Amino acid sequence: MSITHHYEMCCRYKGRAVRIRCRDGSVHTGIIRNVTRNRVYLQPLGPNRNLGGFGYGYYGYGGFGYGIALGAIATLALIPFLFW
Amino acid sequence: MKPTYLNCLSLLGVGGAHPGGLKLTKDILLKEDIDKTIKVLDIGCGTGQTSAYIANQYECDVTAFDSNYVMLEKSRERFSELSLSIDIVYGYVENLPFENLSFDLILSESVLAFTNTSKSISEVKRVLKSCGVLLAIEMVCERELSNEARTEIQDFYEVSHLLSENDWITIFRANGFGQVNVEKVKLKNELNDLDNTAEFSLSENIPDDCFYILKKHEYFTDLYRDSLGFRIFRCNI
Repeated sequence: MSITHHYEMCCRYKGRAVRIRCRDGSVHTGIIRNVTRNRVYLQPLGPNRNLGGFGYGYYGYGGFGYGIALGAIATLALIPFLFW
Repeated sequence: MKPTYLNCLSLLGVGGAHPGGLKLTKDILLKEDIDKTIKVLDIGCGTGQTSAYIANQYECDVTAFDSNYVMLEKSRERFSELSLSIDIVYGYVENLPFENLSFDLILSESVLAFTNTSKSISEVKRVLKSCGVLLAIEMVCERELSNEARTEIQDFYEVSHLLSENDWITIFRANGFGQVNVEKVKLKNELNDLDNTAEFSLSENIPDDCFYILKKHEYFTDLYRDSLGFRIFRCNI
């Protein structure tokens, strides 16, 4: 899928919980906080200090959670939470 | 703030925090006669998703009510972004700060279950007009549970009793609702449907506890998938 496609998807899913699988095999789950032309920023659905659980590689923290390069994304799907 | 399930929902700012999400809300409302002249009360409005939808769609008078200040603040932000004039009121459903016979339609989207149900339902009945309707989407216990399971669920979600469909009907009737219609809906898992998916308006600093609670909630959702369900109750006086 193209970067444009993922960019549009990420914009649509802003504020939703998603699971992103990257080309390197890493999987990231979190809530989309922000999207730029080349990165999507996730608030991880886990304790903030522990980045170890979110795949390898360096994912820098910005003001909006941590960023994943749009070009690295293989698949992106909404997580269907059920809340009472 | 105490790390409870409901506080966790407020910090995560979960919108559509009830089974079926906004999709089910829209479907249910379609069956009602709603026009500009009616007065709607959304008890347990949360982040205001449903209130905003109703005010926008039907242009009627909506009051958004909740017992959680973080939720109400998120509602306020939502309404102001959408330029909607919706009354925001803080309080507890067991003691509604409204006059008798004030509303035509009252919505409870997974709210009554978290309160003292008898007290709340009699309050709802008091502020509802005599020809008004209460629409409630509430958790039901689908089968007999062991005492341990029951306690575990009640403690985690802080509900005082897990009620079966019949328990609910009995309580609605006992508190002034003569007519109670029940609908069981099977949710379709439509992939990537935004109306079906919870939205999050996150607070700035979310304590780690919150994420442990979310994890535990996910675990319980799976563990008790056949034991916990929900119904739509349509109640008239």
